[in-house]
Amino acid sequence: MAVIEIGGASQSGITQRQRWGHYFAVFYAAIALLIGINLRDSSVNAVVAYSNTTAGIRALYPRGWLIDTDGDYVFRVRDLSAGGYKTTIQVAIEPVAPTASSRNIVDALTLARSQRVAAYTPLSRSPISLSDEREALALEYAYVEPGDNVFLSAIPNVVSGLDIIVLQRGQAIIISFLSDSDTYDSNYPVFQRFLDALVF
Amino acid sequence: MHLSFKRAIAARALLFAVVCVLSLPTTVHTQDANFDADRIRRATVFVMQVDTTGASPIIQCAASGTLVTRTGLILTNAHPTVPNNACPGDDLIIAIASEPDAPPVPTFRASIVQSNPGLDIALLQIDRQIDGRLIDPTALSLPFVELADSDSLALDDTLVVVGYADLGDSSVSLVRGTVTGFSAEPIGGDRAWIKTNTVLPGTMTGTGAYDQSGRLVGIPTTVPLDQVAPDSRCLSLQDTNDDGVITSGDRCVPLGGEISVLRPSNFARPLFRAATLRLDLQSQTATVPFTAPTGAPVFSRLFFSPTVNDAGMPVSVVRGLPAGTDRVYLFFTYANMTSETVYELRVSSGGVLNPTFSLSAVRWSGGRDGLWYVGSGGQPWSNGVYDFTLLIGGVVADSARLLIGASGETLPTFSDIVFGIENSSDGVVGTGFVLPTGTVASARFIHRNMSPGLRWASIWYYQETEVLRETLDWADGESGTKTIRIQDPAGLLPGAYRLELYLDIGQGFRLAATSDFTLAGTPVGDFARIFEDAHFTTAADAERALTASGLSSFPEGTASIYALFDWNQIRPGTLWTMRWLVDDEPFYEQTLPWSAAENGDDYLMTLTVPGGVPDGTYRLELSINRIIFAQTEARVGIGQLPIDRFAQASGVQFRGQIFDTQSGAGISGATVIVISDLFNVEEFTAQWDQEQIYALATTDRIGRFIVERLLQPGAQYSLFVIAEGYLPISADGLEVAPDSPSLDIPFYLTRG
Repeated sequence: MAVIEIGGASQSGITQRQRWGHYFAVFYAAIALLIGINLRDSSVNAVVAYSNTTAGIRALYPRGWLIDTDGDYVFRVRDLSAGGYKTTIQVAIEPVAPTASSRNIVDALTLARSQRVAAYTPLSRSPISLSDEREALALEYAYVEPGDNVFLSAIPNVVSGLDIIVLQRGQAIIISFLSDSDTYDSNYPVFQRFLDALVF
Repeated sequence: MHLSFKRAIAARALLFAVVCVLSLPTTVHTQDANFDADRIRRATVFVMQVDTTGASPIIQCAASGTLVTRTGLILTNAHPTVPNNACPGDDLIIAIASEPDAPPVPTFRASIVQSNPGLDIALLQIDRQIDGRLIDPTALSLPFVELADSDSLALDDTLVVVGYADLGDSSVSLVRGTVTGFSAEPIGGDRAWIKTNTVLPGTMTGTGAYDQSGRLVGIPTTVPLDQVAPDSRCLSLQDTNDDGVITSGDRCVPLGGEISVLRPSNFARPLFRAATLRLDLQSQTATVPFTAPTGAPVFSRLFFSPTVNDAGMPVSVVRGLPAGTDRVYLFFTYANMTSETVYELRVSSGGVLNPTFSLSAVRWSGGRDGLWYVGSGGQPWSNGVYDFTLLIGGVVADSARLLIGASGETLPTFSDIVFGIENSSDGVVGTGFVLPTGTVASARFIHRNMSPGLRWASIWYYQETEVLRETLDWADGESGTKTIRIQDPAGLLPGAYRLELYLDIGQGFRLAATSDFTLAGTPVGDFARIFEDAHFTTAADAERALTASGLSSFPEGTASIYALFDWNQIRPGTLWTMRWLVDDEPFYEQTLPWSAAENGDDYLMTLTVPGGVPDGTYRLELSINRIIFAQTEARVGIGQLPIDRFAQASGVQFRGQIFDTQSGAGISGATVIVISDLFNVEEFTAQWDQEQIYALATTDRIGRFIVERLLQPGAQYSLFVIAEGYLPISADGLEVAPDSPSLDIPFYLTRG
C-alpha cells in the first residue's frame, strides 16, 4: 500500500513562485465569485425600460415579466413564472375631483374591488414618503382569486396587494403590487426597486 | 430562462413528435371532423330564473342555453328568462358542468341584454359571479359555438341537439335526429320553424341544435302550458312555503312538453349582433301605450290557401287541393293575442296526429289582432282528409278540414287580389297592399271559369267592421281580371282594410278570396307618402337633436346617433316595421302597432353604445306590409365594422397536462403561452409583450390546462411553457391538422 504523506515537512520546499501562485489562485477564485454574484444579480435584477410620454411615466420593470398596456391601466407587468398568483405590478391613473382626498380614492377603490373580487379585505392604510420625498398613501389589502377557467379544478389563491396612491395635478397615480400571499415578502424587494426607479 | 442547447433540442423534438402524433386524423364518431362535441358540451349551460325577493332564491323556471361568445353571451329562449306571468323571477343563474359526465353547477349570474318574446329568443350576458361579484365580460374566455346560416339546412339533414334533459343529476345529453320539415308563419316565411323527428324533453328548450360542422343552426323551443291546461307539467324542487316539506303546495317549476320544433338560428342574428356590439336603441318620442287585450285570445275564420304572396296574403281560398300538393297554408283571424299567448296546431288524418305538419306549443309571434297563417311549403302531402285543430294555451280554439287529392273539376275561382289606384286602362297601380288616403281604393283580382249570372259578392271591412257589401250576378267574361272599388266622397279613413270575395256555386256563398291592405300617408301620384325626411344626426342631447341638421357621416367614437323622421296619416294600431342594419346586417327589427299621433314630425330614436358607436354603415328602413317607404344611411368612422379576432369558434382546442419529470406529479400554476404566428420564441422572449401572445393558459391543481382560444389550422404558432422552479421548454412551428377537433398534449418539465 502506498502512503502519501501530507505534512509540514514538505512546506519548506515551497518556492516563492508557488507561494505567489497560491495567492493568485485564491485571488482569482474570489474575483470569479464576485463576477458570478454580479452576473447573477445582473440577471435576477435585470430590468427593461418603459416610458409613456402621454401619461408622463418612466419605469424600469423586471426583465422576463410580461408587459400589457391594453387595459384600464397605463401598463401592467406580470411574472408568468410565478407559481400560484402571477406577481403583478401595475400603474394606473384615475381622475380625481379637485376637492378629493386620498381617503376618497381609497374608498372608491374599496367599493370597486369589493364588487369584483372575492373576500376583499382592506388591511391597513398609512401615509408614506417616496424616495423623492413626495407624500403618498399606502393601502394594504388581500382578496381571494379563483381559477380563471371554470372547467378546471384550480385552488383559489390568496392575494396580498399594496397600492401606493399619489395625488398630483388632478389625478391619482395608483401603483399596485399584487403577489401570492405566500411569496409576498420575498417578492416585495422587486416592487421596492420598481418604485424607487419610477418617474412620474 | 434560457435552455441548454441539448435540452432545447430534446424538448422541441418531443413536442414536435407529440404534436405530429396527436394531430393525425382520428376516428371521430360524429358527422364531421369539425364537429367538436366536447366543445359544444362545454358551451352548453343550464339557466335557472330565480326570484330573489325572499330569504333564499326560489327557482321559477329552467331551460338550457348555449354560450355564443367567449365573453359569456348566452343564447336561449325568452319565455324562461324574461320575466312574465309564468316565470316571474328577477335574476338568472347560469350553471356549468366542469366535467363532461357531471351535472351542471351554479357558477355565474347573468342579465338579459337582448330579447324578443314573440320569437322566444333571448341573449343573456354573464356579468356576475355566483356570489354577486361583478365580472368584466371582456376578461372571460369561455368555450362558445358559432351560429350557422339556418337557411342552408335541407330536408333530411342530420341534427345533433345538445342540452340538459332534466332538472336532476343528468349531464349534458346529445340527441341525434333529422330535419323532417319546416313550418311557415308570416314572421319568417316558409322557414319560421324547423321540424325534427327527435322528441326532446322540455328542459332542453333554449339549447342548441347543431349541423354537421358543429355550428348552431336552431334553438329547440317549447312553452310550458298554464298550470290549468290539461297538458301542463311541473316539478316542485324547493320548500317555498316554508312548511318543512316539499309538496304540491310549493312553487312548481314548469316543464314544457316534448319538443319537436326549432327556431332557426337566423332569427337570433339581429339580436346577437346588437348584443355583441352593445347597441342600445331607444325611442324618444312620446307614444300612447297600446292597450293590452281585455278579452280572451280567439282564433276564427279558418281557411286554406295553396300559396302566399309577397305581402303574406293568401292568393286564393280552397277547400281541397289536388294530389301531389306540396304547399298548404292555414289562414285564420286572431284577436286579443299577446307575446305570452301559447298556441299550437295539430294536424291529424283519420284521428292520427301527423307530426310532420303539426306545430307544437310555441309562443305567439304576431300582433294583437289580424290575419295569420301557419303552413308548410315544399313538402308533399299524401292524399286524405286532414283535420287542422288550433289550440290556445292547450285548449281547442277552432278547427278546419282540408281534402288532399280533390278531383280536377274546374270550378269558378277568384284569386290574386291586389290593391291600388285605378288608372285609365282599368288596371290598378301602386305598391299593391298599402294605398294612400283618398276617396277611393280599388282592388283587382283574377277570375277563372266564371259563367254569366253566377252569384258573387264582395264585402269590404275597415278595422274589422263591415263598411260595404255588394251582391251581384256575374256579367264579365269567363276568365280574366276584374277591378272593384270602395269610395267615400268624404275620404276613406286611414287604417286596416280587408276585402272578402264570395262565390255561390250551388252551396251558398263561400269565401273565394280575401286580402288585407292598409290605407296610410298622403297621396303623391299613385303612391303613399307615409314616412319622410328620415335622417341621422348627432347632438349633445335629444332636444338639440330635433333641430340639428342631417348627417351622412360621423366621426369615429361618436357617443350617440339620433334618427328622425316625419310621418303622415298613420292610424294608431297600424302595423309598421322599423329595421336597423349595420353593414347590411340587421340588428333590430320590430313590427309594432303604430302608437303615436296620426300625423307628426320628428319621431326620434337614439342609438347609443358605451364607448361610442362602432365604425360601420348604419341604415334605417321604415316599412308597412313589407314595403319600404323610407330609409336613410350614414357612415360612422371608416364605415365598416371592426373585425373581432375572437369571434371565430372553428379551430382546434389545445389542452393538456404538465408533469414533473422526476415525480410524475402534475405541476400547478404553470403557464402555457401560445405565441402568435407572427412571432417566434426568440422574438417573444426578447420583448415579453402581451401583444405577441395568441393565448394564455394556467394549469390547475393537477397540472391540467385548457387554451380556450382555438388554434387555426395553417398557422404556425410558437409555444413557451414556464413554471416556477422548472426549466422552461419552448418550440416554434406548432401547426395543427385541420381535421383534428382537439389537441391533448402532456408536457414534462425538469427541475432546474
